[in-house]
Amino acid sequence: MNRLTGAAVEKDFLSRVIEESGQNLLACLQCGKCSGGCPISSDEVAGPRRLIAEILYGNKRQALEDPTWWYCVACGTCMTRCPVEINMYRVATALAEMAEEEKVPPSEPDIHLFEELFLKSVEKYGRANELKVVMNFNLRTHHPFKDMGVGMTLMRKGAINPGEFLKGGRAGERVARIFSRISSKAQRKGTGE
Amino acid sequence: MKVSYYPGCSLESTGKSYDHSTREVCGALGVELQEVTDWVCCGSSAGLKMNRFVSTALSGVNLALLEKEEPGEVVAPCPFCYRRLASAQEEMRQDPKLKGEVEEVIDAELVGSLKIHNLVTFLREKVGLEAIGAKLKKPLAGLKVVPYYGCFMVKPQQVTGCGDTENPTSMDEILAALGAEVLDWDFKTECCGAGLSLSKTDKAVELSGRLIREAAFRGADAIVVACQLCQANLDVRQGQVGKEDNKQYDLPVIYFTQLMGLAFGLAPAALGLNHHLVDPVALLQKKGLIG
Ligand code: SF4
Ligand code: SF4
Repeated sequence: MNRLTGAAVEKDFLSRVIEESGQNLLACLQCGKCSGGCPISSDEVAGPRRLIAEILYGNKRQALEDPTWWYCVACGTCMTRCPVEINMYRVATALAEMAEEEKVPPSEPDIHLFEELFLKSVEKYGRANELKVVMNFNLRTHHPFKDMGVGMTLMRKGAINPGEFLKGGRAGERVARIFSRISSKAQRKGTGE
Repeated sequence: MKVSYYPGCSLESTGKSYDHSTREVCGALGVELQEVTDWVCCGSSAGLKMNRFVSTALSGVNLALLEKEEPGEVVAPCPFCYRRLASAQEEMRQDPKLKGEVEEVIDAELVGSLKIHNLVTFLREKVGLEAIGAKLKKPLAGLKVVPYYGCFMVKPQQVTGCGDTENPTSMDEILAALGAEVLDWDFKTECCGAGLSLSKTDKAVELSGRLIREAAFRGADAIVVACQLCQANLDVRQGQVGKEDNKQYDLPVIYFTQLMGLAFGLAPAALGLNHHLVDPVALLQKKGLIG
């Protein structure tokens, strides 16, 4: 049960989401057109309208633990149909960054793991090594043979090349440097410098 | 005509046949694709979700490289790369502070005036139906297709500039110009499950399943796509959807560039038509489109 306490952080939360996402959630009419068209809304995943309500009420904890923004595939349907053009995948990013900053455990660990592995691959090689990301994900989620039959067939057909597992990337160093500059910049910001 | 080319990571790997068929088709149309040197990953959905600044900076690297090249415009076949590139340029135009921070991190200055095209719009608008029709050697007569656009090339229209996000027609028009029978259907821009394919496979099966069932219901021979992620989801998850329904759908999921190449009389192997899980070759043979 999430109960508002009236603490200042709850009030700050809304303005921070608005500022960091660049989306004026105060204009939301709660009409639900976004959730109606959102592909990931379901019985278990409430969808964008409900997520906005949580943010508007200052229910920070609930919003940061809401699976909606983890599931969001950035399809852009909500913004396209919204009468006030709110872009929810920008809100998803703002919440993901805040949740990470505040060390809120991911409500969807599998999605989190996949995104992390993907970004690590980009940081290391400069380009994503998709096959390695898939393999690492399956190993880490203890389903090493998931989609194995499919993978073998695609390899036999020449659609994927097992040599790709070994591939490095020329762009690697340059991109790794960018990642490290960004993280030291974020640390400076965090310590108030 | 010369244009910069940004293939993106997937087109070097799981989407190779999209890359190959794009190069073949552009070659046949006299479009010179100049692959941008040392391009980097756009961060994909992971970058966009987890860290806005990383995502914008990665596209910033690519924009800076592209601005140095002579064509001044770029075409990206991957709809996600396309949208991210276009959006990053626009975000930085609107927010000079963000632009300054990106420039500092990537050690380059950005002008912000690049023309950025997705492949479908580029071929439909810049190359045009007339030039495409002029290359037609083997009309795709008797081939019933549903064109599937997916999300990222089309939505949100504030980023893509797409005129009709519910019913885009550019790919329909290209396919019709090649002689294919383009069927009407409602799911042109419904989601296939996108990046959830691996982390939430059930969701991807559910969403791809809707598309596959509807395409079959409409009587399509094949689903035509312009995105390697859509291709993978609809192709790879088709078996699971079939299992749920106790039948085999057997609906090949073909890149529109592969069909263009075929209609231009290019060799099927050069187009990667043998790379898909649900085999399009048998269907195309049956229709007399492959010898
Ligand atoms: S469509 Fe827009 S206004 Fe309506 S509930 Fe969703 S975000 Fe709010
Ligand atoms: S962008 Fe995200 S929240 Fe919006 S409709 Fe798509 S999946 Fe749903």
